[in-house]
Amino acid sequence: MENNIAKLRKKNKITQQKLADKVHVTRQTIISLEFERYNPSLELAYKITKALKKRNIEEVFNLKKINI
Amino acid sequence: MNKKNYLWRYVFAVVLILAGLILSYLNIRKAFLVFSSLGSWLIYIGFIMLAVITLQLISNKKRLVDERMQFIATKAARITFIGIILFSFIIIILDGIKSINIAYSYFMSYLICGILLLYLISYKILLRFN
Repeated sequence: MENNIAKLRKKNKITQQKLADKVHVTRQTIISLEFERYNPSLELAYKITKALKKRNIEEVFNLKKINI
Repeated sequence: MNKKNYLWRYVFAVVLILAGLILSYLNIRKAFLVFSSLGSWLIYIGFIMLAVITLQLISNKKRLVDERMQFIATKAARITFIGIILFSFIIIILDGIKSINIAYSYFMSYLICGILLLYLISYKILLRFN
């Protein structure tokens, strides 16, 4: 899953630690998310979207390929 | 960890010490692991447990466990489980080639240490690369 966490975080001037504290995860988890090594749960994805001041989850996360 | 969990762990440690004292008092003894008897081993384990619980209670460090860590812990547990099966298979084959003569208490001690070590190593590696 692709995400714009790093881009939006820098835009909002939030550090990785601050974002991690806001969504109650470790800084390592934020790093893993930014490097797209880990796909978050729906709950965490919503929390991150809210912390990055976005309304829609698609503005932060999107699937690379959708095969339906 | 909440207070109830600490209480149960304290109770368990005290039970171990009491069991050790009873066994020592009744003089039920046989060389057990590196200890003189099973009783002294139980007392030793009980005191170690008491010390660990007390240290945890004093430090009271709040550790954050997030969903990624839980995910990695599940993966590490799966690897450990496969490791146990593979190890058991190897032991069966080795025993078939040449009988393994080792005290059951030693074997289980090694097995438990091995399981813990395998879990810890796989968890740390997964944590680093996930």
